[in-house]
Amino acid sequence: MSSRDTILATLRANRPDPAAHELPPVAVLGDMDAGKARFEDALQLLGGQILLPQEGDTLATAIARRFPDAKIICSAVPDFEGTIRLEDVTSPQQAAATDVLVVRSPFGISEMGSIFLSEAQLNSLNSAAHLTQHIVVILSEKNLTANMHTAYVERPEFHTANYGVLMTGPSATADIQGVLIRGAQGVRSLSVWWE
Amino acid sequence: MKVKPVNHAKAAEEFLDDAPHLTFHDERLWDMRQKRDQQMHLLPEWQELRSRASAIKEHTLANLPEYLEQFEANAKKNGIHVHWAADGAEHNRIVGEILEKHGAKSLIKSKSMVTEECDMRAYLEPRGVTVTETDLGERIQQLDGQMPSHIVVPAVHKLVPDVAKIFAKNYNTDPNDNSPQSLAESQRMAARPVILTADAGMTGGNFLVAETGTFVVCTNEGNADLSATVPNLHIATLGIERIVPRMADMGVFIRLLSRSALGSPITQYTTHFRGPQKGGEMHIVLVDNGRSARLGMEEFWTSLKCIRCGACMNTCPVYRRSGGLSYGAVYSGPIGAIIDPTFNERKYSTLPFASTMNGSCTNVCPVKINIHEQLYKWRRVLAEHHELPFVKREIMHMAGKLMGQPTLYRTAINGTEVALSTLPRFVLYNWLNPWGKHRELPHPVKQTFHSWYKKNRLKDKKESQGGKA
Amino acid sequence: MKIGLFIPCYIDAFYPNAGIATLELLEKLGQDVEYPMDQTCCGQPMANSGCNSDAAAAEALFVRNFAKYDAIVMPSGSCTHHVRDNFDAIPQTEEVKHVRKNTFELVEFLHDILKVEEFPWAEFPHKVGLHNSCGTLRALRTASMSELGEPYFSKPMDLLTKVKGISFATPKRPDECCGFGGTFSVTEEAVSARMGLDKVKDHYQAGAEYIVSADTSCTMHQQGCAERGGVPIRFIHIAEILNGARS
Repeated sequence: MSSRDTILATLRANRPDPAAHELPPVAVLGDMDAGKARFEDALQLLGGQILLPQEGDTLATAIARRFPDAKIICSAVPDFEGTIRLEDVTSPQQAAATDVLVVRSPFGISEMGSIFLSEAQLNSLNSAAHLTQHIVVILSEKNLTANMHTAYVERPEFHTANYGVLMTGPSATADIQGVLIRGAQGVRSLSVWWE
Repeated sequence: MKVKPVNHAKAAEEFLDDAPHLTFHDERLWDMRQKRDQQMHLLPEWQELRSRASAIKEHTLANLPEYLEQFEANAKKNGIHVHWAADGAEHNRIVGEILEKHGAKSLIKSKSMVTEECDMRAYLEPRGVTVTETDLGERIQQLDGQMPSHIVVPAVHKLVPDVAKIFAKNYNTDPNDNSPQSLAESQRMAARPVILTADAGMTGGNFLVAETGTFVVCTNEGNADLSATVPNLHIATLGIERIVPRMADMGVFIRLLSRSALGSPITQYTTHFRGPQKGGEMHIVLVDNGRSARLGMEEFWTSLKCIRCGACMNTCPVYRRSGGLSYGAVYSGPIGAIIDPTFNERKYSTLPFASTMNGSCTNVCPVKINIHEQLYKWRRVLAEHHELPFVKREIMHMAGKLMGQPTLYRTAINGTEVALSTLPRFVLYNWLNPWGKHRELPHPVKQTFHSWYKKNRLKDKKESQGGKA
Repeated sequence: MKIGLFIPCYIDAFYPNAGIATLELLEKLGQDVEYPMDQTCCGQPMANSGCNSDAAAAEALFVRNFAKYDAIVMPSGSCTHHVRDNFDAIPQTEEVKHVRKNTFELVEFLHDILKVEEFPWAEFPHKVGLHNSCGTLRALRTASMSELGEPYFSKPMDLLTKVKGISFATPKRPDECCGFGGTFSVTEEAVSARMGLDKVKDHYQAGAEYIVSADTSCTMHQQGCAERGGVPIRFIHIAEILNGARS
């Protein structure tokens, strides 16, 4: 008998009575506020930033101001130029040279300040989102969902994307004597630009 | 030769001797517990979340074979190769074969307690595979040749100078670097080239979703995402108990996991892997390693609900004052003490006794595992299986006899030298001796309550009843 | 209501004043109390060590001593917890069930059964820190626990606030276990003693002159740690304060 069959047979023999353990219906609990303010508070708590436009700003000028030293600004969206387009980045090794990656997220979660990215937004180069030094995420207020329950119930991406990451602020660690450090292994900063 | 039980008490005593490390360890983990409390207070539905998480997990465990089959079918449909490992050896063999097939010599991996269980690095490295842990804490532990001391913060028992020394030896950095920021930066700079040239990536995982064939990985550093997406070969290892039925169930668990673990609402990265990336290959190894047997243990199967948040460790006053390494096991703290004996009853027979059974663990557990009650039950099982030290067993046996005989007991207790006159003195003396090592003994009294009552109440009663009683 | 008084072995031998105060207090409250002279132990030390079968003789004797009472009261949370929740080394006869169902820790008996509104004789002009044993806190549930985020309640505080002149110190970690843990105090003496020292320091730094508790086993251990560690704090059983002790 294969290990698979042995494991399944042992589980069948050993399990508690299924009739005594009903599956509860899907829960949609908690605060249903799907607002921008809640999203921003949550994002900032986890070290994310809001890229605020100044008078007359475009995304390009806002990025130039926020990242004055950035040499390679990679765009994954049609409406922003950057210095290189993500379609022209062919390998993780090339993606690792990126200073700023600009992407559009299909939805955000107000409870957590999370944004979602999948291969659809990353031109199937998923590592680009983590190898870039900084990431700027374009997000629309109308694409906010209230909390984790509503996100999983409402968003089809969780059923369709092969790779789907909820990013909530930048990479972080507190593994050295409990000191919180932003920008551990992945992005050093994550900024949201409202459209 | 029979394996010796872990000497938790002795290891703890050594841990306690180092004041700076002890103080930091206790306060850091207590701070995580308090941050967890703050998050709990923000969510009026916290207890309902716990109840639901527990119910979903219990249902899933009772239907585990069906959900695993459903997961497997969906994962395969999505192009994932699904493997089943009965134990650690089979797990390691499977991973080794996949790597060999691809000629992979360099493996980057994120933290996975299952690979620790299987002692995978020790298997792969002699076979020519360089394994690099990418989680900062786990990497520190790997470089120091230690097991993780905590399931969420593996190097929580170390201070900045400890890390500086380890990095200096391995990364040629300044041994006196006292800045956590610059040390973390050293790790980033050292890890990047390894990540970019690795042949294969490996991750653990927090959840399997039967409905979609997805596995979900929660990290803060982004190292799991790097490990999974930079190389074209991704192997994931998960215990078979990690499954939930529906994607919508993830809402309950994600809302509880990081809040319970670190006191942050969510991990920085919550990643859903449903299939290989473009041009890539994805494998998942479903590991049993004792879990299917544990499911049959009437008093202990609910320990399989565990989502590895570490909240029980953070709140445990014994864990905070003894450190994870003192448990001598992959899983430490309260959850370790109830699952380790299922791996090796004799070796871990001491761990259920490394607890005051205060019950804090049970009440912070996001999936409501009755940890302290299982500790109590394990003590019984271990006593029945003769896994208690001889002296302790004898003392309890004699004490039990004595407590059943009031006249003998009264003789023993009078003079307040409890039991000393009836129990073999050397046994009792040796066993009770540690009380006085860091503590004073109670003060002797003139009379016991029993004598006082006899003098002050029975006499009255006799008089009032005309001396009949 | 006929009350059987159980005095745990360590109170009998080392802290008789806590036992005397319990008895006198119940008498002051007009209760008919008897102390069966043949009592020994509830069986907890053996059961907690895993040696449940060795607890059988003590449990059987306990039932022989107390089955005839309407209520069994004891100034100990951990013994009550054992009798109520774990007392299963002997067959569960009707007698045993009666005993288990009608065993009360002193505070819950005063608070829930007698519903005492005042202790006119009690005055304690000191700052005290309340130590809730883990048995009372998380098993008997005589106070809210920080782990659950539930609304605040505390039966011992409800009683203590009825005492004239008393004031309270709040330690930083009020719900943290003090490290006694029965045989744990011996088998894991280093961790146990450290927990005890941390506990008494926490109370002392909060300004407590006394640590008051419904569990003398905890305070016996804490006192030992305080005396060895040079922490000048005193210990008293809640029954003594409620019975009118002034110091």
